[in-house]
Amino acid sequence: MTALVPALRRLPIYRLRGSNNEGVLILSIIVLSVIVGIVAPSFWRLSTLLNISSSSLENLVFAMGVLMVIISGGIDVSFMAIGIFAGYGVIVLTNHTGFGASSAWTSFAIAAGLGLGLGTLNAAAIAGLRLPTLIVTLGTQGIIRGAMLAYVGSKVIPDYPPGLDKLSTNYLVTATQGASSTRLSVLVIPAILICAVMSVLLRYTTLGRGIYAIGGDAESARRAGFPVFGIQVFIYLFAGLLAGVAGMMHVTQVRLANPYELVGGELDVIAAVVLGGASIFGGKGSVSGTVLGVVLISLIKNSLILLGVPGTWQRATVGLLLLIGVSAQALTASARRRNLDAMPETPA
Amino acid sequence: MSDMTERMVRRMLGERSLVRLAVLAIAVIILFSILSDNFFTVIDFQSMGFQIAEVGLLSLAVMLSMLTGGIDLSIVSVANIAALVTAELFKGTDAASATGGKALLMTAAFILVGLAAGTACGVLNGLLITRIRITPILATLGTLQLLNGLAIIWTGGKAVYGMPNAFLNIGTGYIARVPAPVIVLVIAAVAAAVFVNRTGIGLRLQLVGANPTAARYSGLNNARVLMMTYISSAFLSSIAGILIAARSASANADYGASYVLLAIVIVVLGGVNPLGGYGTVTGVVLAAFVLQLVHSGFSQIGYSDFLYSIAQGGILIGVMALNTLSTRWRLSSRLAILNRWRRAEAPTAQPPSALAPPLPPGASAQSKEAERKP
Amino acid sequence: MVAREPLLVASGVSKRFGGVAALDHVTLEVRPGEVHCIVGENGSGKSTLIKVISGVETPDTGTITMDGTSLSRLSPRQAISLGIEVIFQDFSLFPNLTAAENIAMATYVAGGRRIVRPGSLRRLAAEVVRRIGVRLDLDSRVEDLSVADRQLTAICRALARDARVIFMDEPTTALTWREVQALFRVVESLKETGTALVFVSHKLDEVLRVSDRITVLRNGVVTVTGDVADFDRGSIIQAMTGRALTETSPASSIREREAPLLEVRQLGLRGSFHDVSFTVRPGEVVGVTGLLGSGRTEIAEALFGITPAHHGTVHVDGRPVRIRSVRDAIAAGIGYVPGDRLTQGVFLDQAISRNIIAGSLDRLLGRLNLIRRKQARETVEEAASELNIRMSSADDPVRSLSGGNQQRVVLGKWLARNPHILILNSPTVGVDVGSKHEILEMLRAKGREGLGVIVISDDVPELVAVCHRVLVVRRGRITDELVGDRLTEEVILRELAA
Repeated sequence: MTALVPALRRLPIYRLRGSNNEGVLILSIIVLSVIVGIVAPSFWRLSTLLNISSSSLENLVFAMGVLMVIISGGIDVSFMAIGIFAGYGVIVLTNHTGFGASSAWTSFAIAAGLGLGLGTLNAAAIAGLRLPTLIVTLGTQGIIRGAMLAYVGSKVIPDYPPGLDKLSTNYLVTATQGASSTRLSVLVIPAILICAVMSVLLRYTTLGRGIYAIGGDAESARRAGFPVFGIQVFIYLFAGLLAGVAGMMHVTQVRLANPYELVGGELDVIAAVVLGGASIFGGKGSVSGTVLGVVLISLIKNSLILLGVPGTWQRATVGLLLLIGVSAQALTASARRRNLDAMPETPA
Repeated sequence: MSDMTERMVRRMLGERSLVRLAVLAIAVIILFSILSDNFFTVIDFQSMGFQIAEVGLLSLAVMLSMLTGGIDLSIVSVANIAALVTAELFKGTDAASATGGKALLMTAAFILVGLAAGTACGVLNGLLITRIRITPILATLGTLQLLNGLAIIWTGGKAVYGMPNAFLNIGTGYIARVPAPVIVLVIAAVAAAVFVNRTGIGLRLQLVGANPTAARYSGLNNARVLMMTYISSAFLSSIAGILIAARSASANADYGASYVLLAIVIVVLGGVNPLGGYGTVTGVVLAAFVLQLVHSGFSQIGYSDFLYSIAQGGILIGVMALNTLSTRWRLSSRLAILNRWRRAEAPTAQPPSALAPPLPPGASAQSKEAERKP
Repeated sequence: MVAREPLLVASGVSKRFGGVAALDHVTLEVRPGEVHCIVGENGSGKSTLIKVISGVETPDTGTITMDGTSLSRLSPRQAISLGIEVIFQDFSLFPNLTAAENIAMATYVAGGRRIVRPGSLRRLAAEVVRRIGVRLDLDSRVEDLSVADRQLTAICRALARDARVIFMDEPTTALTWREVQALFRVVESLKETGTALVFVSHKLDEVLRVSDRITVLRNGVVTVTGDVADFDRGSIIQAMTGRALTETSPASSIREREAPLLEVRQLGLRGSFHDVSFTVRPGEVVGVTGLLGSGRTEIAEALFGITPAHHGTVHVDGRPVRIRSVRDAIAAGIGYVPGDRLTQGVFLDQAISRNIIAGSLDRLLGRLNLIRRKQARETVEEAASELNIRMSSADDPVRSLSGGNQQRVVLGKWLARNPHILILNSPTVGVDVGSKHEILEMLRAKGREGLGVIVISDDVPELVAVCHRVLVVRRGRITDELVGDRLTEEVILRELAA
């Protein structure tokens, strides 16, 4: 095994693997599609693609925020709570005060603002007090969700502000199959834009590279002159903002404001980010990998439905997928470490 | 006071977190007595007793995994698996209609099977963490989802009913005027305390959490210790699951999702260090008691469960902030003394290289990594 | 020719830690474009001097003057902005980023730039790399690079920050011969640009070959400084050790007739050491020395089961043993006091008593896995008294102890098991002089009782004082065995320097 890996590395096909396992993901997606396509030929329809895209939309935006946090070496489980607080909060606000009822832009702006504000909780505790990220975000999740249900409202709201109502029926693509038709919301555009922005941020700004640096070695980052505190504040504020936007997207698409949704679905997003090649220890990860991860999970969920598997199977499948993916990562990491051990000794 | 008791009391008084907890408990009681006139009289210690056991056991489970520097997030899913196995066995054999000796026998047997099933989940966690070397957060996050998903598939999302009275008595009955679950909790807590503080495996557990590298160099089998930890955690969670089922007369794949946060709050409040190596059972039990008081107080005043959720999050972050700030303050003032003293030896009080980057005392690459998770 | 006007001067620098003077009015002068080597033994003050100059420590007296600017204290950031760069042993690189990013990133951050253009970043890095004429795969992640390439990356990063003086610690330790030559070529081109290099090195041969001037430190004082032409190996060693204090090596109490306690034959571990064979007889104290990276620690850790050997045989007390894990080693009667006490040896925040019983738990367990408290307490008391551990209570955390006492705790942990063989790695590092003495005496005493002791160390006086024999390890092989007349400080230093 030890001699195998460097030999393998020289094969040109290895390059296709991609620096974050993108190649493996693409391969998995293709293989999976082919298998499902054989079993259920109805797979090969435009409607499938549209379904997958629709169900990926909000998770993509959530995932961008989570990706940032994970690259920096942390983990966030509060994003869904922030999302639903923002989305539900906007609906309640609009219904009560009529503010922003006619413009979806305003609704999204408010949601983003709410998300940003809620993100300050995380920023204060993590960047300011340097507390462990998992436990902090577990705490803020409790606080935010509790605050929403206690102070904003705990009832499902069917009334919709006209601005959002229009947006929710604004479709980019429609695929009609006889009597039924599948549609893709125009919201796919901002989702893709956000991914593009994040990609640029991570790759072409010192802020972004600083996030990787912190994830690689926070102390070295400090010594090298990166404003670690500032970068971390940005991460959690921006992640909050993105969560707010994603939550608004969710509420728009579902056409219903249900405060009990979203929370509990964190793993779908975290799994997508981790499967997309981001290391839980920080320092690694990419937008492309994460996008593929989100697509893969949506694909699996959709495939299950297509194959007639009851919806009750979805949770277990995603959980199993996460464990398999993470096991593979852990095993290759062990192999690489053993490979390194055989190299000439390094001092101290 | 006998010598041993005196030593124990002195040690407890010396534990800053325990003292703080006791003060907090008193403060909570006073606060709620003010806010609601009949808090203390109406406070239903007995009903508290029924609830505290479930969460207390789950907290003990989290404590074990935290002592080793990891975390077990799958506790609730494991609890539900244990509950479901037992419940399905009851349902399948129509145990609810059994009586007398037969009912007792079936109850005992099926409980054991349920516990075994839940504990087996702990083996899964252990394997993922020690063999495949997945970090505990990810591993238990995955099993949380997987086990929950399997439970949903199995039950179709519906609750399972049909338990015999013998079983239900465990969750709702009394033994000498004390709620049965409290007895279970006390036995479990005592066993956990003995396990952690007096047994070889318990000490190994703490050492592995304190410094896994030094543990390895001392000849400890880290993998075996971790495996035992996650198995024990699952075992405690399974007991919790049985109690939940006995109290609510049903088993459900999704019950108790909010317990994960609560258990972690209790553990942190109870003085367990999330980075590993330090924690006491007494602290955890006391903390569970305090949180239960808060809960009762809240419902007395008419605060909803949502507000309780806010309180939990606030307490969690607040306690951690307090811990960090006081440690840093203590450390920085002690640092001067400590450093002057330690450097009284050779200037090379650090790894032998001439230009080793300065490490804060006691820090290591190991602790840096552990610091990032959870 | 090297200019005479100094670039960096540390003058009259003193630093005390507690009652010990780590530096006593030390003056170091670095000229532009020169290679200046600082030579000295462990504890001579080299590391403290570097830390003072780079701003990590503040001196009690003295000034640092760089290019005319004089400061009596400076911060690490000030030092960097003045052009003083230190390459630490771990290189402080970001393993997850590419070499190019590591090299150029610092300039980006310092320059306050917001946008990163990977192209220009890479060009910057490439330019630095070209400037010194090396080849480096700029697009590889640092974690995938060899140690030599990582070192190059660190050097380039220092250059990218316009370093005027670069300090490096034992720069050639982990390098192959070819890589060392490559490094020296880099050094040459750096000199041409006027950058000064300060090496801390043990390898006197390389020191004599590559440096322009040398400063020798001993016990915090500069014993001599001057042009390399004025030195040879002998005079450097003389300056390092002062008067030849050859402590007579301990009287031989080895029972020659007795069968060896430990017999190691052709032990090998791919990539670390090969063909290692030696014996340890009851009552012997065998020293193992070599430079950092020679394989000396690996040999010990292979015998202890941390990184088990691939070939070879080990016999303890005449019985063959297979050491595949730490458990195997302990079962065979081998104990190990590790080199890095803080991370490997002690549980800092745990009680002293716990630290002591940590190694012998299996012997203290009764029914139901319960610890036999009385027996545990007795074990702790025995260890504390035998080793003279100075503490207020056995329940105090080990952190509260001084380095010397901490080391005694580690020793206590192993002696509680009554091992046949005790291996110690750098046992007196970070230990005050008094404790050092006591520990060495205790080792000798244990030796007389029949314990076999192996001491891995690069503290030369210590080796001479306590060992009956010293094995010299170089590049993974035992190249010499010093005993009797040849067991002196001078000989050891010469062997190490070769």
